[in-house]
Amino acid sequence: MGLVPWYDGRDGMYGWIWRHLPGNTWVRALISLVLVVAVVYVLFQYVFPWAEPLLPFNDVTVDNQ
Amino acid sequence: MRVIVRTLSELCITVGSVIVLFVVYVLFWTGVRADDVMDDQIDLLRKEWSKPRPPADGTSASPARPAPYAKGKPFAIMYIPRLGFTWNKPVLEGTGTGTLKKGLGHYAETAQLGQKGNFAVAGHRRTYGDPFKDFPQLRRGDAVVLTDGTTWFTYRIDKGPYKTVPSDIEVIDPVPRTSGYTRSGRYLTLTTCEPEWGHSHRLIVWAHLDSTQPVEAGKPEALRR
Repeated sequence: MGLVPWYDGRDGMYGWIWRHLPGNTWVRALISLVLVVAVVYVLFQYVFPWAEPLLPFNDVTVDNQ
Repeated sequence: MRVIVRTLSELCITVGSVIVLFVVYVLFWTGVRADDVMDDQIDLLRKEWSKPRPPADGTSASPARPAPYAKGKPFAIMYIPRLGFTWNKPVLEGTGTGTLKKGLGHYAETAQLGQKGNFAVAGHRRTYGDPFKDFPQLRRGDAVVLTDGTTWFTYRIDKGPYKTVPSDIEVIDPVPRTSGYTRSGRYLTLTTCEPEWGHSHRLIVWAHLDSTQPVEAGKPEALRR
């Protein structure tokens, strides 16, 4: 397991994460999947609901409240 | 050099994935969530309405002024047969962003349902269940039916869809300018955005109160098939 920073590694950010996950390939794949699901959850639950009102689809009133 | 290219390409992949996910969220997920939430709001109303009401005693028999609506809470269900026979949406008090995610929003400063003045309601054209997607299909004579649990209110559309600019707040006046109404009456105004995915204009329809009947009398003519 290399301890070089991700920007110095040979396979970029995702490769760096992969190399720092414990276990064999299957365990790593499983953990990666969990990480992806967690990121998607955070995006859908917190980030997108915050970002969506900044787009124009919400302006349906004439007094802009 | 290789590090820069690699970093840049990973960044592009990441940003691209997030954008794709965001499109999925806006087009699909908001609708799924909104349908759930709107059904919940309608269930809430039905539950409330099925509760036994306190019998009207002699002192408060005159229904002069109904109680003000609670902000952000549903108080009525709207039916528009032109938008689909199964089309029904809860109407909530207020037009805040959070309120409009749960249903249609009643402009707080406008008249109450069935009262003298202008009962004005805003709704999403797109996203959050697309309640007013087919807004341009509304025509003169179409029924807009609402119920508050005790009474059915049938409004008939007189004019619309009328395209205007977002700052044109006169369209929700008690006697809306450019609507063709000249005297005070019991009116209804619906507003949504135009174009479908934009925010440069608004679409408006106006209606007048055509008839009312108690819920005990069954569904109004316009909702019968």
